[in-house]
Amino acid sequence: MNKKFLKRDLEYILSLFLSILVSLLIGAFIMIANGRSPLLGYGALLKGAFGSKYNIATTLAKTVPLVLTGLATAISFSSGIYNIGGEGQLYLGAFAAAYVGITFTALPKGIGILLAIVAGAVVGGLYAYLPAILKVKYKIDEVITTIMLNSVAVLFTSYLVNYPFATTKGKMGGTEIIAEGYHLKRLIKLSTLNTSIFFMGFIAIIIYYLMEKTSAGYDYKMVGQNSLFARYGGINDKKQMIMAMVISGALSGMAGVFEVLGVHYRFLQNISPGYAWDGMLAALIVKNNPIGVIVMSIFLGALKTGSVSMENATSIPSELVLVIQSIIILFIAGEAGFKEKFKELNLKRKSKQKVGEKNA
Amino acid sequence: MAEKLIELRNISKRFPGVLANDNVSLDIEKGEIHAIIGENGAGKSTLMNIIYGLYEPTQGEILFKGKPTQIKSPLDAIGLGIGMVHQHFMLVPSFTVAENIVLGNEPKHKKLFIDYKKAVAITEELSETYGLKVDPHEKVESLSVGIQQRIEILKVLYKGADVLILDEPTAVLTPQETEELFEVIRKLVNDLGKTVIIITHKLQEVLAISDRVSVMRQGKMIGTLQTKDANEQILAEMMVGREVLFDELYKKESSKKEVLSVKGIKARDNRGLVALNGVSFNLKAGEILGIAGVEGNGQSELVEVLTGLREMEEGEFIVNGVEAFNKSPNEIRKLGIAHVPEDRLATGLSKDASIWENLLMGIQHEEPYAIKGVHINKKKVKERTDRLIDEFDIRTPSGDLPVGKLSGGNMQKVVIAREFSFNTPILIIAQPTRGVDVGAIEFIHSQIIEKRNKGAAILLVSAELDEIFRLSDRIITIYEGKITGEFLNGEITKQEIGLYMTGKHTEKAEGGEKVE
Repeated sequence: MNKKFLKRDLEYILSLFLSILVSLLIGAFIMIANGRSPLLGYGALLKGAFGSKYNIATTLAKTVPLVLTGLATAISFSSGIYNIGGEGQLYLGAFAAAYVGITFTALPKGIGILLAIVAGAVVGGLYAYLPAILKVKYKIDEVITTIMLNSVAVLFTSYLVNYPFATTKGKMGGTEIIAEGYHLKRLIKLSTLNTSIFFMGFIAIIIYYLMEKTSAGYDYKMVGQNSLFARYGGINDKKQMIMAMVISGALSGMAGVFEVLGVHYRFLQNISPGYAWDGMLAALIVKNNPIGVIVMSIFLGALKTGSVSMENATSIPSELVLVIQSIIILFIAGEAGFKEKFKELNLKRKSKQKVGEKNA
Repeated sequence: MAEKLIELRNISKRFPGVLANDNVSLDIEKGEIHAIIGENGAGKSTLMNIIYGLYEPTQGEILFKGKPTQIKSPLDAIGLGIGMVHQHFMLVPSFTVAENIVLGNEPKHKKLFIDYKKAVAITEELSETYGLKVDPHEKVESLSVGIQQRIEILKVLYKGADVLILDEPTAVLTPQETEELFEVIRKLVNDLGKTVIIITHKLQEVLAISDRVSVMRQGKMIGTLQTKDANEQILAEMMVGREVLFDELYKKESSKKEVLSVKGIKARDNRGLVALNGVSFNLKAGEILGIAGVEGNGQSELVEVLTGLREMEEGEFIVNGVEAFNKSPNEIRKLGIAHVPEDRLATGLSKDASIWENLLMGIQHEEPYAIKGVHINKKKVKERTDRLIDEFDIRTPSGDLPVGKLSGGNMQKVVIAREFSFNTPILIIAQPTRGVDVGAIEFIHSQIIEKRNKGAAILLVSAELDEIFRLSDRIITIYEGKITGEFLNGEITKQEIGLYMTGKHTEKAEGGEKVE
């Protein structure tokens, strides 16, 4: 079927656009209320995010973990199983990559990197497999188990890097630096943007293809929309849910891998400032559409990068961006409600017009 | 002479996106039985809910005994003496009959405690006055649907109703229970001076019970007739808006080879209670086997067991010579069974998915629709979608539309198109025309017969006895999870089969005469 944009897709994109616009407007009011110029503020934000090669590179570097964890959310949520454990899977994946990087130091460059990526994906996937099995076999709510497993993973890796794997050079809560051969090449001077963005692009294409073009993607979607219908139609709904969860965990794990191989070159106990949560945000805002996840990740990445410059240039606190993000979420959550109200108003107006016509 | 009790003048009711009632006017006279008929979605229930105060009309006015009246809530309606018995009963299963009847207006002593003795006395008195026999002490959950309906009616009468609105009262009743209900209605009207409004879509019932009949179509009032001036043909045409042919269905005979057999199947329902208690039958190619039974006697569970959606505890299930005991839905489909489920929205469709996605279910991994079983071939899928939309007369602007936006009849056609397109030797079809308009019913029936004539074996489960009698070659009756009888179509009347459906055949089996 030639996929034209359906009316409801267009409607959604429009309402999304409006939500973002209104949120930015509210942000502007907050700036005005504090005696600052929104033009200067947003100008600085925009410049900070896209103003120079370096700034663009920093923005893009931020999007790598967001896209991967966003896709992780998209594939699990659209299959009707809710992986909220991205952060934990990211930590374990990152640690696995660091472990490979400090253990197999003699491997040829390409092979080492691949091994690290695979290790991170496998560990992340396995860590998601556990709650998936609990959900499917024993009906234990995966939302709760994955949230709790986040803490387990973060604290466990924190223990590992402070005791058995702690670096000998200073007390910093990190592993040794991984071997030279594992370092992903930096692309722009001074910025952390590295070749992981190509890996990310490749992975995103695969996930997009899987979700939108294949029979397996169809199965995931149907299980997510109506699992009884899927089972009735011959799909093994439990198997699909487990698979979706494992893929989701693997994606989050890889997000961690790239933080190690491309940015820090070692595992740090606070390696993620909540990337998985921001990625989830991106996926929720665009209703699990894989292309939307990429666009939204760039947007969120830009807000993050730009906010720092904004604070430096205009002394508007960077936390304002959090406020704007929250307002967007509020609008999106209210989308259905707003739509109903809008339709009602429209109908009322129309029926009034009709009455008027009759009277006239 | 007849006094106008309720007058509706130019009532319109608009829901977001739908005009459910469009400028409807209706008079209800005192002491009449007034039937409101129309297809699903014609606006009958909306109109009645307006009278009962559940909805406020967008436009128009209501006159009660000639005076303009606003009915803003059911309390207002009850105050005016209007009561309603809903299609879905609103009883508390764990309460006794007496408790249910006084619920909401309980007799109390010391203003605090429910006076149960008085409640029983009230129930007995009501039961006496209106000739509706019930046992006040019995718990509602153990009573049959017919008795539960009586309690609903008593409840309304207890609140002092002079006008009773009955919404599809016969939908869940056996022919015997329907006849009993009609007796009650006649008594209420003729002897006790009540007024009854009855909503239905069954034409024969309208002709049997009502004094006047009003027909609605697509939110509009088409007209009101004296029932003595009406017949089925006239009413059907008013309902549908065009000529309706009740054609005899052409049946062709072919070889009758057994393709499916079950022996001693046992299974439990969702609450863990025994739903199937040793069911055995067989199904042959080129025949339609109808399963008649009052809803909730194990039909749903039987269909689920046969399609792999429910576990069976014991029994033998053989499809084309292959043991199919507790196989998965996928394995059972591979054995050549297609399934039209009783609840299309819960089981048969994903309402958020497009028509093409819904039609693809089951063959999404197969060539040529999936290249090498991986890549969905949009072109082939679209060709098939367009072909099925055309063949099965699915009314839609495009195959990309979400199924949830279609009407009930068109949704059902999507399910039927998909399941029939697999050309399986066996079809299990449950409630194929539930909530479907008359035009679509004709179409679906003809498709089922065509399948049969081509040699498919069809198991048909339906709560509509008319449908069972119209389509089936052979009929089995099910009661409390057991098969109570087996007949060739033509051997037995609807009245007789009603006895088998309620387990009463053993009492009257000897005396029962066969009428053809």
